[in-house]
Amino acid sequence: MLTLRSLQTSYGPIKALRGIDIEVSSGEIVCLLGSNGAGKTTTLMTVSGILRPDKGDIIFEGESLTAMPPSEIVRKGICHVPEGRRIFPKLTVHDNLEMGAYSAPSSDLNRNFEKVFAIFPILKERARQMGGTLSGGEQQMLAIGRSLMSNPRMLLLDEPSLGLAPIMVSRIFKIIQDINREGITVLLVEQNARAALQLSHRGYVLETGTIQLSGTGEELLGNEDVKKAYLGV
Amino acid sequence: MFFQQLINGLTLGSVYAIIALGYTMVYGILELINFAHGEIYMLGAYLGIILLAFFTASGLTEQSLLLSLILTSVLSALFCAMYGFTMEKVAYRPLRNAPRLSPLISAIGVSIFLQNYVMLTQGATDKVFPLQLGETVITFQDVRMTVTQVSIIAVSALMMLTLRLFISRTRIGKAMRATSQDKIMAALVGIDVDTIISVTFVIGAVLAAVAGVMVAVYYGLVNYTIGYIAGIKAFTAAVLGGIGSIRGAMLGGIVLGLMESMGAAYVSTEYKDAFAFVILIVILLIKPSGIFGTDLPDKV
Repeated sequence: MLTLRSLQTSYGPIKALRGIDIEVSSGEIVCLLGSNGAGKTTTLMTVSGILRPDKGDIIFEGESLTAMPPSEIVRKGICHVPEGRRIFPKLTVHDNLEMGAYSAPSSDLNRNFEKVFAIFPILKERARQMGGTLSGGEQQMLAIGRSLMSNPRMLLLDEPSLGLAPIMVSRIFKIIQDINREGITVLLVEQNARAALQLSHRGYVLETGTIQLSGTGEELLGNEDVKKAYLGV
Repeated sequence: MFFQQLINGLTLGSVYAIIALGYTMVYGILELINFAHGEIYMLGAYLGIILLAFFTASGLTEQSLLLSLILTSVLSALFCAMYGFTMEKVAYRPLRNAPRLSPLISAIGVSIFLQNYVMLTQGATDKVFPLQLGETVITFQDVRMTVTQVSIIAVSALMMLTLRLFISRTRIGKAMRATSQDKIMAALVGIDVDTIISVTFVIGAVLAAVAGVMVAVYYGLVNYTIGYIAGIKAFTAAVLGGIGSIRGAMLGGIVLGLMESMGAAYVSTEYKDAFAFVILIVILLIKPSGIFGTDLPDKV
């Protein structure tokens, strides 16, 4: 479904991605692991068009996204939920969701609202509140809910569990799994390696802009290097 | 005396307010002080004079003064919208990722260019408005207000109300607010940020153009430098209200207009223009974020 082919991206003179190859098939949850600065966020930012690659290709369902602006990429069905959630703080929860549907046909708006409120009933209660007044967990739900408003076929989730209470972390992971079962492919970046690998079909390990390892969730969970570096065993 | 100055101040203030909206909206999205915004207002005033002269010559004004004035305002707004759109595309868009000082210098360049362009094509002397209006005076006890004053206050109020509804209710309006809060996230939900920026400049230019036409009617003459002083006053109004805040610009404009007319009446007419700058200095010293501005926390 999504293929990254020897992708290279840099911030000015600093090379963040040194040619990575990643393959995500339809229906999968694939996670990217790696320490800070390994290039996980850069990878997602390049796929969604916020950053431009220096070299390499991004192919989504046979079509190159490499030169497409972000607003076009959303319309192709890839929605990026960035790190830190980036809720519009001075828009209401309702308007945040409505903005999430910006790229979708307006005839889908009501149905998408119902869909998101069914998954996150709390957002319906908070609909008139400003986005910035929600708690961290609620903001993460809003961020995921907002992305679902765009009729995505693939979600790019960047650190969805960051800064959340443990009970909220497991709820968010459960929701990601449910969304995936509904047929949405997920590319997940997580610090919480164990939970991410348990959830994912496959994973990649990034180190300083290159892919070090890849395998199924179980393979990576059993791998000695992964255990030492990311699982703290 | 007090109520008389209240009316004068409201008239002046509503004009400042609608020009200030152009500054504050552009700042809200680009964090750029568009110093050329005052020139759009000046162009609007000139276009108002040219168009009204044309409609008067063609006999329309004699048939219906109201229709003639409405057509003048609409066409002036349309031309200025094109100026605003082009200005952003030519002078600011190529500098989108440049250091912050570059677009500011570019804005001053546009301002100087537009002033000289009008001076060369229209002459350096005052142009007189082809109509004398405002002869009709409404007297209420000892307060006199002209029909022109009432119209300026009413039209400004109507435009501000329309803008507020547009910003708070429509899809594009919400997208403008989303873009001003987080440009990257706006792009990620599928908003074409470049289009939103163009829309912002166009709306600001339309408001400034109508303000220009109204002031040309009110004072009866224009020259190529009026954009400079009006621009600085409207900028002061925007800072007073809290730059980036829509309701701040509206309130700031009204407050500034009232202070100026009260100051002129009770302190000294000679220092009328100085009040704006005194206010600007005082706000910058006491509360730089303005009335409605929030102290921006450093992003973590």
